[in-house]
Amino acid sequence: MITHLFRGQRRYLERGKRMKKIIEVENLTKTYQELKAVDNLSFFVEEGEILGLLGPNGSGKSTTINCLLSLLHYDRGRIRIFGQDMTPDAYEIKKQIGVVFQDVAVFEELTVRDNIDYFCGLYIKEKALRKQYVQEAVELTGLEEFVKFYPKQLSGGLLRRLNIACGIAHRPRLIFLDEPTVAVDPQSRNSILDGIRVLRERGATVVYTTHYMEEVEQLCDRIIILDRGKIIAEGTNEELKELTGIEEKVTVELKKIEDRQVEAIRGLEHVKEVTRSRNLLTIIYGEGTNNFGKLLAFLEQESVRYDKIYSERPTLNDVFLELTGKELRD
Amino acid sequence: MFAHNFRYTLKYLLKNRMLIFWTYAFPVILGLLFYLAFSNIEKDEKLQVIPIALVKEEAGQAAGQGENPAGEILEETVKSLSKENDPDRLFDMEYVTESKAKKLLDQDKIRGYLLLGKEPQVVVRENGTEQTIFQQVISQILQQARLSQAVTDSPAMQKALSGISSPEEARERAEKVLEGLKQENPNIQDRSGDHLGYTVIEYYTLIAMACLYSATIGMYAVNSMLANMSRKGMRISVSPAGKGRLIFSGVCASYVVQLLGLGILFAFLVFGLKVDFGRQILPVLFLALTGSFCGLCVGIAVGALVKASENTKIGVIISVTMLGCFLSGMMGITMKYLVDKNIPLLNRINPAAMITDGFYALYYYDTLNRYWLNIGSLLLFSLLMILLSVWSLKRQTYKSL
Repeated sequence: MITHLFRGQRRYLERGKRMKKIIEVENLTKTYQELKAVDNLSFFVEEGEILGLLGPNGSGKSTTINCLLSLLHYDRGRIRIFGQDMTPDAYEIKKQIGVVFQDVAVFEELTVRDNIDYFCGLYIKEKALRKQYVQEAVELTGLEEFVKFYPKQLSGGLLRRLNIACGIAHRPRLIFLDEPTVAVDPQSRNSILDGIRVLRERGATVVYTTHYMEEVEQLCDRIIILDRGKIIAEGTNEELKELTGIEEKVTVELKKIEDRQVEAIRGLEHVKEVTRSRNLLTIIYGEGTNNFGKLLAFLEQESVRYDKIYSERPTLNDVFLELTGKELRD
Repeated sequence: MFAHNFRYTLKYLLKNRMLIFWTYAFPVILGLLFYLAFSNIEKDEKLQVIPIALVKEEAGQAAGQGENPAGEILEETVKSLSKENDPDRLFDMEYVTESKAKKLLDQDKIRGYLLLGKEPQVVVRENGTEQTIFQQVISQILQQARLSQAVTDSPAMQKALSGISSPEEARERAEKVLEGLKQENPNIQDRSGDHLGYTVIEYYTLIAMACLYSATIGMYAVNSMLANMSRKGMRISVSPAGKGRLIFSGVCASYVVQLLGLGILFAFLVFGLKVDFGRQILPVLFLALTGSFCGLCVGIAVGALVKASENTKIGVIISVTMLGCFLSGMMGITMKYLVDKNIPLLNRINPAAMITDGFYALYYYDTLNRYWLNIGSLLLFSLLMILLSVWSLKRQTYKSL
């Protein structure tokens, strides 16, 4: 796995030399007393891409973003955004950044439209232009019917959409989205993901953190996986899947199977791992072709009875669990 | 940016029900409670006309009176306090002989009698409120009469009055002498134009408390700008809007909210409760404005300097305000005197003490020297709070969020 990691990183670094870098982070280190929340982190974000920051709880995703935004003081390292050093008073850089925080950050006493207008007004002085931008943000997030509502009158999904509208109304070039779809229904999630795609189509660069692997697979051009403050893998969706060494995953919903038959499957060609959980048998192949056909033939030959059988390519979830381990985190 | 943030800060502050209650409603409710409590006190304390008698000694009437101008003043003053149809009438007085006076006293038809002579004497039969008032009033009149006699007889006054040829010249000279005495001793004053009631001073403390309540608004305005206090603060901190400008406009909006609250309180006191601030209304208003500004600055400083949750900051503000008010004598003037006597520095750095002392200065002194000293101290204290806050907030990043 280490060899794969280095190979992936090399490819990534070579590409970075060719593209325009919007964010450059070198040796970023942030400690909380004894705990190294971010440990010597180096990466960059290219213009126009959606970068996924993945990692279990406490892996350092939010801390990294807060350091990038100059909200948190860090111990060591250098952060450059749009080619300039990022500092608390780098107002020219800040003008071009939009942030959607994990927690909803709006004024309870202001209506939906007033909230968007207030935060947009921190970036855009011209009233007519701001009015247009606010309307665009309202439409992008589908809040047209709720502009006169107060936040406490909105559902969880609508609140999340308001939170996003407040962060992106000023048309930023670089957008940080920190778990924007936590605790929203599938309809709202789809709406939010569609909105992010529209923002990218308009030319924005996006840094996206989430726990939802399918979102990252659907949305992100490139992914960085963090664990204990370090980058443990980075690359495109396909590149990361290569890292797992999984070619194919076959799942069988069994009716009946004997232990000796499970052992026989373990001995089949290219089989890397076999796991059994109640009536589910999962067979992972590391390489090879027509593995599925050969397995079907074996099951037929052994008269193993089953309800369903299906084959999958490895998912990002597999990659994530393989890289970060399956033990529970805080 | 100023107008934008000012407008929205005003909007969200005025829609914050909790804040509105404590800033607008609570002082008014407290004022109403004061009114109900004090109006009863004043009603209870309203005096009945006290029946007394005045006895002129047979010997003194012919010879002694001429030698005793204080006695004459005493008699004239008691007569003027006993005028019928006068709403401020204090005594129901009749001239009697000493034996008749004793008889009336025994029959409880009078509370006491005044025996005029070389050394005037008050005779009462028992202790009681009316008897005490009678004794105290006569004692005060005698003291004043003797003081004025001493002043008139002084070589300075004799010199001042020498060579006067007309009444106008005499009046002019007298005014000059009085002015000179006032400058030498500010405790000598003419309060004849004032109608400050006993309870006005309690309303002063209420205004002072309302002034210091602005600390909560100030803290709230700063907190909403701080990334470590709220997610809104994080969002504002990552924006290109300068924190200094935002805080300045936020504080201006907060001040307007506070002034509206003070306006409501004053309107309620003056028009609702008919509290008469006499000639002092403008200085009172100006001190209230300065005190509110100082309270606001204290709130800003607590918001910026105290690294704790919003609730903890509110707790700090309430504790500091209440302690400050207690030490400055809001709950009893004795405490103010004790602190002034034993730890004078404490009241010099206590904004509550500066506000109350300003009000007391207005009440007790005719000159405004001490009043302006307190205004200056409040402004200096406010400036210090602002400088500390700016120093703390400038280029701020956090160790944790």
